[in-house]
Order: sequence, then structure tokens, then C-alpha cells
Amino acid sequence: MKRYCALLRSLHLYFGLFITPFVLIFSISVLVFNHPGFIDFLSPIKPSTETRTKLDKIPYDTTDLLTAKAIIEKLEIEGEIDFINQNDDRISFPVKKPGLKTQITVNKHTDSVLITQQNEGAYRALTFLHSMPGAHNVKIRGNSSYIQVWRVLADVVVYLLLFLTISGVFLWYFLKVERNFGFFSIALGLIIFTSLLLIIF
Amino acid sequence: MKNLNFWNRKLHIHLGLFLLLFIWLFSISGLLLNHGSWEFASFWEQRKQKESVTEMTLPAGLDSAGLLHMVMGKLEISGEVTNVKYSADAFDFRVGSPGFGRDLHIDLAKGTVSQKEYELNVWGKIRTLHTFNGVDKNDIDKQANWVITQVWRFAMDGIAVALIFLCVSSWIMWYKIRKDYNWSAAVLIAGFLTSFYFVYLIRMF
Repeated sequence: MKRYCALLRSLHLYFGLFITPFVLIFSISVLVFNHPGFIDFLSPIKPSTETRTKLDKIPYDTTDLLTAKAIIEKLEIEGEIDFINQNDDRISFPVKKPGLKTQITVNKHTDSVLITQQNEGAYRALTFLHSMPGAHNVKIRGNSSYIQVWRVLADVVVYLLLFLTISGVFLWYFLKVERNFGFFSIALGLIIFTSLLLIIF
Repeated sequence: MKNLNFWNRKLHIHLGLFLLLFIWLFSISGLLLNHGSWEFASFWEQRKQKESVTEMTLPAGLDSAGLLHMVMGKLEISGEVTNVKYSADAFDFRVGSPGFGRDLHIDLAKGTVSQKEYELNVWGKIRTLHTFNGVDKNDIDKQANWVITQVWRFAMDGIAVALIFLCVSSWIMWYKIRKDYNWSAAVLIAGFLTSFYFVYLIRMF
């Protein structure tokens, strides 16, 4: 088995180095998710800007998503359409990029458009990326190319992280000097993990 | 410097081993969140539901917090309390914990407590652990009101900080041996540039 160690060590190093920035995104965003008040103090959201314009030939006789996509194409706005609200009078939807939220509201009778844009900053960009593609609005999720790419990247990071844990255990086991204390580390993690689940459930 | 490298490597190994189960939990729950279409994990359709009505003597003069604690104590339920709505003749709230939810409606005039409960399967419970932090997006000053939510959130903070350390420690270890791995700097830079694009550049173009 030892002969696989060199290869495994290289893979552990290369994969590990590649995903560290992504692990930082996921880890720092956990702190932002858990302490939103502190992040608001650290990086207050700037006031939003409003723009009004008028469009013509908006196709309302199709699906909500296609209508919304046609509107943002005419407005030359790019991003992920988060969800869509539509009634007889108006269609309204947020278009998101990490750290930038653009709310679009179109009056269906006059085709007038209100665009509200808010720069949410880098911390909230991290939480947005952490929550994408996510569990909500599954039917329309991935309507922008960058979320399609991010979806794949997020999965790749998770699978590589799982690989790193397994290769890490393998590499540790063949380090005789760390073996005994390593069992203690695993056991301590197991005890704390199990205790936490027991008190929750 | 030798001491720093020695302890850095030791901590990287043992912290990694300590976090093993936590990393697996958050990795699997993250995959479940991003793949709602995986049929084996379709927990919402498979949830167990129950409804019940309990008669209860409700003492007059109790404030909403007192009433809430009294009802939860009598029903022997615990969890994070959210969605509290109070009116002259009714009191509604939700008690949640990972995988469990309970909507309670207290009819003050009739002296009854109606409950609608649901319980998710094991995949649902795993998935909820990923997001269970007691934070209300619409009221960020609101603190978690269940001690176990606070404990879990503290654990999540700890795991996040430990993962940040694992990243930094890996760079320190790599820097020492960087010349033995020809493409390692390029791989690290590729990771950084890609994430920098998503965090900063994407909103500028």
C-alpha cells in the first residue's frame, strides 16, 4: 500500500491547493450567515439606485421565465433570475450576481420599467455563492450561464473535499509517528459529533 | 521557523482527523441541498404528519412569553420558536428543530391548543442541519432562542474557523516543498483566480 502514498500525496496536495480558495468562500460565508448583524456593522449595505425606462414588444404570451429573460436581454442586464412574481398588472423579479442585486418591475399596461440596483458587497457575495444553486426555485435555477458553471464547481469542490478526507486518512495512517495520537483525534471528533447529534435529536 | 512548520503540520493532520465526520456531514448535506431532484433523498414528500388538539387551562394574566413557555412545558416540546403571532383571542407560533416542525395555534377563548406536526426522514434531517442556525433573515437582530440552536451555531462557527486554518496551514506546508511539485503554484493560482472572479469580478462586468 505504501507505494500508493507518493501518488496519493501529490493528488492530496494538488486537489487541496485548488479547492482552498473555494473552501474559504464556504467557510467565511458560514460566519456571515451566522452573524448577519456583525457583517452589517462591518460592511453596511449601500443605498440602492433607481432607474426608470420603457421597453417595447415584451413577450407576455410565454412562460414567466422566458418573459423575464426577454426583459433582461432588452435591458442588457445579466445575472440569475432568482424568482418571478407576475399578475395581470405587472411582472417583478430579482436578477442576481454575487454581491449585486437588481430588482426589475415592469408595468404590463405601459411597459415602463423600474430598475433598483443594490451593491451588497463581497461578504454577501460569499453567502450568495454558498447558497447557490440551493434548494429553492429548482425549476428555474441555473437560468444564467455563471450559475451553471458554479453548480458544477460547487459539486467538484465537495467531491474533492471528500477525496481529501479519505486520502488524508490514508496518508496519516502510514505516518507511524502520528498514528496513535491520530486515533485520539478521530475518537474525540466522533464523541463530539455524536454528542451534538444526540442533543439535537 | 522549524517549530512553526512542525506544529503547523501536526495541527493540520489532527484537526483534519477531528473534523472528518463534520466535513462528511456538511459535504453530504450540501450535495443534498444542491440536488433536490435526487429521488432517494426526496424527504418532503415522505414526511410524516400529525394533527392533534389538546384542551388546556390557560391562566389569565400571562404575557405571551409566559403563555408560550407554559404551553411548551405542558406539551413537553422544545425547539427554536419562530413565526410568533398574537391577537386578542389567539396565539400562533412555530417550534422547529432539524427535521421537525410544529405549528401551534392556541385558542384563548376555547382553551385549546391545536398542533400540526411534521417529521422528515433521515435525509431531511441531515439537510436541515446544514442551514439550522436560528437566524431570521428579516430580523437579523433576533437571537436564537433555543440553547441547542446556539450550541449548533457555535459548532458551525468552530468548524468554519478550523477549515480556514486547514487552508492556511496547507499553504504554509506547500510553500516549503513547492519546488518538488512543478504545477502546484499554477493550480493554487487557478483556484484563486476562479474564486476571485466569482466573488469580485463577475458583478463588475
